Amino acid sequence: MIKRVEVNYRGIFQKNLGKKIGSDIVMIASRMGQRAFSNGRYSDSPERNGIPCKYFAFVSPDLPEEELEAECGAKLEIDEADVSVVLDDTMCKGVEPWGWHGIRPINERVVKDGCLLVVSKKKPEELLKFIGKKPYNYRIAILDGDASLAGLWVNKDDMTHERILGGIAAVDPAIISIEAVESYLMDKTKQKHRAEAARAAYESLRAEAKPPRVKTVTPNDGIDWPHKIPVLPKWFEMQEGAVVPAVKRGFEMGPRGQNRNPGFKRGTTKTQRPAVRFDLCTKCTLCWAECPDECFDPTTDGFYDIEYQYCVGCGKCAEVCPVKECIVMVDELQFEDDHSPWEHWKKDSKEYIAWVEGKKGKERVSYPVVTGKGRTVTQGEVMPEGKIVPVRKTEEVEV
Amino acid sequence: MSTVPTIDYEKIKGVHKIPLEELYTSGHRTCQGCESATTMRGFIKAAGSRTVVTGATGCMYVANTSYMTTPWIVPWMHTQLGAGGSSAVGMAAGLRALKRKGKIKDEKINVINFSGDLGAGDMGIGGISAALQSDYDLLIIMYDNESAANTDIQATGSTTYGAQTTFTPPGTKHPIMQRRWKKNVAGMLAVGHPTCRYVATACATFPPTDYLNKVRKALSIGGPTFIHTYDPCPKGWDYHPRFSNELGELGIKCGIYPLYEIVEGQIIYTWDARKTGKGRIPVKEFLTKQGRFDHLQEEHFTHIQKMVDEMWEEWEFPGVAPIKGILKARI
Repeated sequence: MIKRVEVNYRGIFQKNLGKKIGSDIVMIASRMGQRAFSNGRYSDSPERNGIPCKYFAFVSPDLPEEELEAECGAKLEIDEADVSVVLDDTMCKGVEPWGWHGIRPINERVVKDGCLLVVSKKKPEELLKFIGKKPYNYRIAILDGDASLAGLWVNKDDMTHERILGGIAAVDPAIISIEAVESYLMDKTKQKHRAEAARAAYESLRAEAKPPRVKTVTPNDGIDWPHKIPVLPKWFEMQEGAVVPAVKRGFEMGPRGQNRNPGFKRGTTKTQRPAVRFDLCTKCTLCWAECPDECFDPTTDGFYDIEYQYCVGCGKCAEVCPVKECIVMVDELQFEDDHSPWEHWKKDSKEYIAWVEGKKGKERVSYPVVTGKGRTVTQGEVMPEGKIVPVRKTEEVEV
Repeated sequence: MSTVPTIDYEKIKGVHKIPLEELYTSGHRTCQGCESATTMRGFIKAAGSRTVVTGATGCMYVANTSYMTTPWIVPWMHTQLGAGGSSAVGMAAGLRALKRKGKIKDEKINVINFSGDLGAGDMGIGGISAALQSDYDLLIIMYDNESAANTDIQATGSTTYGAQTTFTPPGTKHPIMQRRWKKNVAGMLAVGHPTCRYVATACATFPPTDYLNKVRKALSIGGPTFIHTYDPCPKGWDYHPRFSNELGELGIKCGIYPLYEIVEGQIIYTWDARKTGKGRIPVKEFLTKQGRFDHLQEEHFTHIQKMVDEMWEEWEFPGVAPIKGILKARI
């Protein structure tokens, strides 16, 4: 028997976290007398900030090490996972780590009666609005918390790591037991609060816990998956000399007027998306000029529409925008589609402003310059229509 | 020399005059907030569609040919890590031969090579040196994100002193493992190639349009030319992607990365702290905004500040070449 765990994480931001969870599952399982090993998904390398990536851990009580490795080691991607950990709930909208992969459901690998363990502040029902249907029953467990984002060098020690280990022990004790998790954390760190954090997470996910955080998902729950999975070209379909056809040249003003790479959209990279109040826009061009992903479309009336399918949510546009509350980064799970905001605004500007303010809500979540050093929540402001308040004066530069 | 005169580009006066069409478009596997992608997008916007691009192995090669797809609209070719300069020469020579034989129309086609700091500054520097002595019209752009970012951040000759990388993890006894001072690539190439008519340093977003105009200037002047760009890297420098813009600006304002162009042997400072009246901002303000310098202590900030001050106050050509004058000694 082999138990498989996959850890879905945000590239670079959660690289160290994902790796630590994988290696600690191995350490704990071996202390329980099982054989185990862990590896990253080869094709995720080189990892990029925000791209959905995976770490795997395999545990077996009966197979010898060589057989376990032969069974699981040399595989690009696993076929099934008993527990699929999701370290950032915005990945529930689907994952697209590279070209020709397509946007796939987050629960793609979860087996019958397996578990999707998500770190989130949302309820299972809210997440199931984005998750694809499965033909069988499985469980969704919510580990209460915000996605822990850190940098490559500066780690964020907010106990997500310990809590995930406790969570896995709760949803599938055959992989690791909570007693083994506790004793391992005590022996390794000598810090009691780490073992306690794991225990608290374990208790919160037990069947008798209140409020219940584990829900059985039936084949009726979830959505019909809207994205097609592309078929990889066969070797004889490829062009000689590793030639890749260029994107066909094409540009016109207006939404989606620019030809873009159809093979790789990567909108699933974002955890937040820019929401625009067009009535506050001064047409300064900065969001468009500084966008590293070319996802702003100039319109005939001088505005810049956003193509959300290609936006990766870096937040640069919101940062360089010189007007208060004009571009604001909003939680990706607030949005169910990628329609053009400019067209929406043109159709009915009053309705659009009310809609976008509803999505923005009151809180503005942002990260400090060094990502691992926390997360700030400030109160936003609802600007009356057309009231332009500059936030920063651009320095006059002679070129 | 070239058979066709270079394209006479117009200067882009202000952000509203930047061409709207993208020739390097969305759908590339770069990081959130990738400044090198902005650099790439910028040079092709400035150069226009009659351009062929070669790229040496590096972050921006792997990012742009992700599993049989590409964001490029103009022709682009991948070449080996150290072959940036030679691929540009080969491409320019090939185009010249095709035109001479009448196989393609005799019109100006720009050749641009885009290599990283490891590809251009360390490994491919010999090929680039040879390219800068050639008689072809070509532009080499070195995008400098101060590390081998493709393979998860290894130190290169261009990494700032003291930075944490996979090769230089700080220890408790020795916090500084990156002990080399940043290589002065643009200055070195300018000093070493007297016939090269244009060498510049730039940053994609600061000052606005400055970089685009430098690309246009290089292509208009013709011959082999070189631009070194400073690209903050959210992955390796460890800051939140939304600050890419600010980091580039701070790097220039604190003087650690001088902005200049050398046209026919004459230096023009395109952003000069000495002329703003405020002077350079402290280097510490720039360094503390990056996770890779999280381990630095006060003495290290002082040392880096001293080195930067020296660059601006003691060098004969401030920020450009580390020559401090002529020693008046008796023979």
